[in-house]
This record gives sequence, C-alpha cells and structure tokens, in this order.
Amino acid sequence: MAVEAMPVSPRIVARRRTTELALIVMVAAIVGVAYTLASLGANAEIPARIGPFLGLLLLLIGGAHVTVRKLAGGADSTLLPLAVLLHGLGYVMITRLDDDLAGLQSLWSLVAIAAFAATLLFVQRANDLARYKWILFFVGAGLLLLPMVPGLGVNVNGARIWVSVGPLNFQPGEFAKLALAIFFAAYLAERRELIAASTWKVGPFRLPELQYIAPVLVGWVFAVMVMVGERDLGSSLLFFTLFVVMMWVATERVSYLVIGFVLFGLAAFASARLFDHVQTRVDIWLNPWADEYGKGFQIVQALYGLGDGGIVGTGLGRGSPDKVPEAQNDFIFAAIGEEMGLIGATAVLMAYLLLIGAGLRVALRTDRTFEKLLAVGLTTIVGIQAFIIIGGVIKVVPLTGITLPFVSYGGSSLLSSYILLAILLRLSDAGARRLGELPDDPTPRERWAAWQLRRRSHEVVA
Amino acid sequence: MIALYVMLFAALNYWQVNRTEELATEPGNTRALIRQFDTPRGPIVTADGVVAALSVQAPGDSDVKFERIYPTGDLFAHVTGYYTFGLGATQLEKTKSGVLTGDTFTQRIRAIEKILSRNNDNSGSLHLTLRDDMQKVAKFLLGPREGSIVLMEIETGAVISMWSYPSYDPNLVAAPDYNAAFDYVTELQADERDPLLANAYQQRYMPGSTFKVLTTGAALDLGVISLDSFWEDEREYVPPQTTDPIMNYAGSVCGGDLTEVFRRSCNTPFARIGQDLGPDQFQEGIFRWGVEQEIPLDLPGAAASTIGNFADIGQNLPLLSMRAFGQNDDQMVPIHMAMVAATVANDGEMMKPFVVDAELDHGGRIINRTQPAVWKRPISRKTAGILKDLMVGVAESGTASCCIALEGGIPVAAKTGTAQLNDTGEPERSHAWIIAFAPVEQPKYAVAVMLKGTDAEISAGTGGRLAGPIAKAMLDAMFKIDPPLLPAAPQGVTP
Repeated sequence: MAVEAMPVSPRIVARRRTTELALIVMVAAIVGVAYTLASLGANAEIPARIGPFLGLLLLLIGGAHVTVRKLAGGADSTLLPLAVLLHGLGYVMITRLDDDLAGLQSLWSLVAIAAFAATLLFVQRANDLARYKWILFFVGAGLLLLPMVPGLGVNVNGARIWVSVGPLNFQPGEFAKLALAIFFAAYLAERRELIAASTWKVGPFRLPELQYIAPVLVGWVFAVMVMVGERDLGSSLLFFTLFVVMMWVATERVSYLVIGFVLFGLAAFASARLFDHVQTRVDIWLNPWADEYGKGFQIVQALYGLGDGGIVGTGLGRGSPDKVPEAQNDFIFAAIGEEMGLIGATAVLMAYLLLIGAGLRVALRTDRTFEKLLAVGLTTIVGIQAFIIIGGVIKVVPLTGITLPFVSYGGSSLLSSYILLAILLRLSDAGARRLGELPDDPTPRERWAAWQLRRRSHEVVA
Repeated sequence: MIALYVMLFAALNYWQVNRTEELATEPGNTRALIRQFDTPRGPIVTADGVVAALSVQAPGDSDVKFERIYPTGDLFAHVTGYYTFGLGATQLEKTKSGVLTGDTFTQRIRAIEKILSRNNDNSGSLHLTLRDDMQKVAKFLLGPREGSIVLMEIETGAVISMWSYPSYDPNLVAAPDYNAAFDYVTELQADERDPLLANAYQQRYMPGSTFKVLTTGAALDLGVISLDSFWEDEREYVPPQTTDPIMNYAGSVCGGDLTEVFRRSCNTPFARIGQDLGPDQFQEGIFRWGVEQEIPLDLPGAAASTIGNFADIGQNLPLLSMRAFGQNDDQMVPIHMAMVAATVANDGEMMKPFVVDAELDHGGRIINRTQPAVWKRPISRKTAGILKDLMVGVAESGTASCCIALEGGIPVAAKTGTAQLNDTGEPERSHAWIIAFAPVEQPKYAVAVMLKGTDAEISAGTGGRLAGPIAKAMLDAMFKIDPPLLPAAPQGVTP
C-alpha cells in the first residue's frame, strides 16, 4: 500500500543510467585510445592485443554497468565512470611499464569487478552492514594486526603490511579499512548523542564520558601500533584520519578534529624521534637530493620524470617512468605525470575530486545517520589515500607507501577499492529510493522473509 | 579536502612547469639522455666501406636499448669521437648527431610516410672520405712515434687518411660501465701527450723549413724575389738589431739561385727574404695562406696555425728572419701543411678540407653531399708553378732526394722540415716534417708527415730522412689503390 502511494518518476532513474552508460562509453574510448597510443609511442605499432583488450574492457565495464542498472538503479551516475576511468588509465600505465604485471592486473580487474557485482548483490540494504558491526570490528582489527603475526607477515620494502598464506599474498590493511569504516559508522550512528554530550572539560575542550570516547582512543592506539609494528606510516595516517573525520561528522564538533590531529602529531613526532625509518622518511622528504642515489632515488627520479613531462607530457610510451622503482605501485602517479604531463595528472586529480564530490553528495542526500557516516567514511578513505600517496610522490608530504586507489597495480587494492565503490553506490541507491526517485521494491530476501511470514500467518490462521 | 587537492595541484604545477629547467639540468637526471639512447643511431662508414661506429642492441638489463661500438678501435677515434651515456659526445658523434638519429628536417619529412608503420627506425648514416686501408697504413707507418700523417685529395680537399698518434679507444669511453669509462677518460686527460686531441688538426707544431714554401710563395707573389734572385754563399747571416748570427743547418755554407737555396733548404737566404719583405708584407703574404685562421675542417675544435705576435716585431727584426724560415714562434697545424702542399699542386687554390663525404638517410638516399669548395687563393697560378718546380727539385736532388722517390717512377714534389726546438747549447730536439704531392703533372694526392721531436732518435734526424720514407710509403700505398692515369708520363711528349 505504502509503495503505491510513493511518487514514482522512472524517467529520472532511466536518465541516470543512460548518463552513466554514455560516460562509460566515453571512458572506454579514452582508455582504448590511451592503450593504443602507449603502444604506438613505445613500439610504433598498433598493440597486437587491442582486440582482446577492448573486449575485456567492454565486458568489465559493461558488466559493472548492467549490475548497477539491475541492482542499484537509482545510484549516482558519475561514481562508476570515474572509478573506471582511473582504473583504465592505471591499467594502461601498468601495461606500458610491465607486460607481465599487466596480465595479472587484468585478472585482478576481473576479480575486482566480480567482487563489485557480488557486493551489490549481497548488500541490498545498507543497514545490513550495520548489523554486523562488531564482527566487522574484530575482522578489521584482526586484519590490521595480521601482518604482525610471525610466520604470516612478510616484510616488503621495509614495511610489514603483507600477509602470506600459502600461495596467497595480500595486504589485509586494504580490507581492514573498509571493515573499520563500517564499524565506526555503525557505532557512531548509535552513540552520537552520548559522545556529543560532553560532560567534562579539559582546558577549552569539552569531552564526553571516557567510555564513549574509548573507541577513538582505541583508534589512536591502533594507528600507533600499525605505525610502529608494521612500519606503515601511510596506512596509520589513513586510519587515523578516517576515525577522526567520522567522529567529527558524527558529533559535529570540531574539537575532535583538533584533538585527533594533535594526538596523531604527537605520536608521529615521537615515532620520528624513536624510530630511524620514520626519521629517514622525513629527511628524504625535506631533501631527497641529499641521498640522490640511495634512499632518495625513488622520489628524485619521480620528480625528474614529472619535470621531463612538463605541461603536455612526453606522450604515452615515450617517457622513461621505468626509471622510478615500483612505478606501477606507489609511484604510478609519477608515471602518469611524466607521460601525460600536467594535463593528464590534473585530470587524475580532478577525477578524484569528482569522486569525492559524488561521495559527499551521497552523504548529503541520505537522512540516515549510519549511511551518512559510512558515505563520508568511504569517501574519506579514497580522498585521503589518494592525497597521501600523490602528495608523497610530488614531495608535498613525507612519502609513505600506500597504493593509489583504482590506479595502482595490485589485487588487494583494486579489490577493496571496487568493494568500497559498490558500497557507495548502494548507499547512493538507498538514498535515491528513500527520496522516492524510484520505487523502493523489496529485495529478494525481504520478499522471501515476507513470504515466510505470510505462510506462517496462514499456518496460524489455518 | 578541496584545499588538500588544491595543494597537490599547486605542487604539480611547481614541478611540472616552474622547475622543469632545473630538474632537467640536474646531473642525476638521465631522462633526456635515455631518450637519445633509445633511438636507433646509424653507422659511420669509411670510403672503403668499413664501419667505424655503429649501434648494437644493448643487453637486456641495460637502462637503454642501444650501445655504441667502434669496430675500428682507435683508428678513427679523432674523427668519429665518441657517443656516451655519462661522458657526452664528441666530434662527428656530436656534430652529426641529428643525421645519425634521423632528426634533421629532411629526414623527418621523408619519414612522415612511415609514421604508422612498425618500423620507427629513421636513423641516418655518415660516409667518410677517409679510407680504412689508408688509415691502417698510416697507423703502421707512424708506429709508436708521436706525430701525425695527413693524406688528402688535391682537387677536392677530401681527407683520405688522417692519423695521429697517440690516439684512444672510443669503445672504452663508451663502455656501459660508467666508472671504468670515467677512469679511462681521466687517465687520457692526465696524459701529457693529449691522446684525446688529434695531433693532425687540433694541435700545432713548429714547421721548420716546410714553412719556406709559404714564405717563398708570398715573396714571389709580392715580387720581392723571382727565379732569377741570387744569394751569395755564406755560413751565417746577422740580421738587423743584433749581433747573433743566423746559421744554416749544421753550420754549412749555403747560397745560389732560388732553385738551389730551396733545394738545399738554406736558412740565410730566407732570413734575408723575411727582412726584404718587412713585417707588414710578410704578415700579409703569410695570412693569405690561412695562417691565424681556424682550419675549416668539418670537425669541431680544429686549431689555427700561427706566426706569433707581430706587435713589437719592428724592435725585434731578428725574429722576423727566423719566422721566415719556420722557426721561433711559427706553429703550423699538420693538416694545414698538407693543404699547403695541395695548394701548390692545385695551381694556387687551397681547398676546404673535409672528412664527411655524404650524409645518408635510412634508406641510403643522400641528404647532403659535401661539395668541394675553395677556401683561399694564397698564390697565383704562376707562383704555384714555380713552387711546384722548386719542390720537384727538393724531391729529385734536394733534402728529400734520399727517400721520397715513388714506386713506378711517379714524379713527386716535396719539401722537408727539421724544426729546431732547442736553443743553442741545449741537447738537440727537433720535429721532423715533410710535405709532398704526386704526380707532379695532374697531381692527385698531397701528404704531410710530422714526427714530434720527443726523443733523441727523431731529434737527431732530418725531416727528409725520417718523415720522407713515411710520405713515400703513404703515396705508394695510395697509388696502388688508385693508380695515376698517366703512369710515369714521359716528359716533353706532345700529342
């Protein structure tokens, strides 16, 4: 009955998906051209695998688009095309840098898109996620600490962020951040009033009861543990920013932002003093040329590459981004800046900004606190993670080894990024349905539950 | 968040726009070099088809796709130069880099049709006038003696052979191991003999009596002397403003007409000719030969010959006398002396010397062929004729008669020089010189040999005895490859 009373405007929804399709076709064209140009630039020949490549590309993004059309018809139309654009440009750069990795990356792309579809399929109600918050908390915390378990954790390039189980290597941190973002959104949505109601004061700051602020402190402790135990500055900064931003949004009190960053600053300063590798990072940041052929090599080469690229870039396939070690991972932005120039690098920055904008719009359009917080949290993850690594590569902040979402090479990163995107789309879709832009049809599971309910009531009646 | 991204954008602008120049000039920035090294680079080929420089695929683990190698080793080092990753490029590798990589305008236009083809190799090649076989002969003849040999084609100025010892191995400079290459170059730079510089065209040496060709030419042209001029026999001549006499070689008594004093290479008559010309006319006449001007060779860093400072020569007239027969501050670039011989043979026209015959594109089509050009007309045709006869006298019965006579009786003309480097009373030290050309009628090749006076053996000899056999062997070898059209033409025969 209530469903029938809702104002339905299917044309809006149809237009939204049509827009998405048009954008996706454009992205496919851009990526296809970039792929061809990269091969032309490097070997002066049309890539031999252009056919399979375009086929895979269209299959992947077409599949993603159909999934969204079927499962999240009301969702924002720009999120998926932006993600696919970043992913595609990243793939082209990886192909250009290392053919073997490109093969793996296309496999990962398949897996990631499948995970994207699966997430949309299984998470049909955003609130479902909130129900599993404590499970997600322990899963997230566990994942975060997993690399520190002897025998499982692997040191790669000085950071202990990899876990190796049999033939499977993955970075649990990439998934932990998602789990923890969901947990925090759910936890804070439940307790925001209690936390916001400050009862005692320290200096100018009014603080809530200790028991309610405990999760923040736990978050802080976690960040420090990660920083110390895994030598992973980037991730700890990312986690901490995530917690603090979500606290701030939940309570609408700036003091959390201030307190949070003061605490992190203290911890960072102390660790810089206590641990050599942190100090080294800062020294390299301040003057990479002091150790040009040693520890500063990566960043110095990245800067040379950027300078060489200039405004229009050297052209795809015509630069030497392979001079930068790990160019396909953390330094992929340097490769983009070198070969596509300021224009291409700015386009990537703009794509992230638009992605952030779309994510925050999702938060604004929903009236549920949990969804609002989760949208903010997920958007923060993408935005801050991209900022930290791009800033590290172009010497704005000290370099910390984290991946560039959607762009960098790596299964864990791609997989978690697409799951994140799926959740964002789900939130966007939920918001749209609640605004009545399209009918809020019951999900199959709800139908199943309702059917069971009906049957049971029939049984009772009978 | 927006602020953070604006920050990134600002930083990006800073690196990619503001600081590009600084970043590009950082010594550790090898990107521009890599770009060059990743493009194929064509070969440098000698006139007889031997490859003196070429690029080969670098081993897989190298930073770059190509490596430059020099199959002829040190033989053409002073011509090709080297092309290296860390130590720059020199000589043709530097000046003709555009042609070799296919970067010239013509090559780019011609390559437009290939823009979508699989093959993006647009590298050009260089064809030299130098011959590998003659270069090997020169290297063999000079052996371990410091000096140089230049053989050139008279009519065109094309250099056929130009060997300087010591030389160096460009393969070692272009070696992929930068540290080894750097050590090698450092060692070369520390070597007092300057192996990196070609004695033949980047250094200059006191010419001794070979310089009398220039003085005689100037004096004949200016009418100060003629074939009829006569000098009394004398042992020494005391020039104005001094009591120190100028002696003939080994203190001999010398005199006679021009043919005689030239043939025997007396010093005193030329010391007198210097005074007769006076400082102004002497300078004027000598400068016509291109002295004090950089040799217009198509290689970078060619030196200029000199006759020293003339500012106070009016108060130092004895120096004028000495410079008139190639002593004191006279210094000639060896290739310049070959050009002097060629000028005499070429009726008074001095051709521009060149080593690059043609620049070719990737398909072997000629982009640019060097056209022979006259550089100077130092002497009249008549003077050239007289000088030619004088030099024939030297070869037949003069200071070179011991050693210059060619196989098959091909008539030859020559002038020797023994440049005394030591002051009176010091141990003898002298450069040995000879310049020669042949055949006398319809001359084809001119040669200049210079042996540096570094050891007692060279210093004890004369230009004729030491350098003469080398010049003879060079010309003999050349005429084996390219026999004269009229072998030993009987004189005075008219059709």
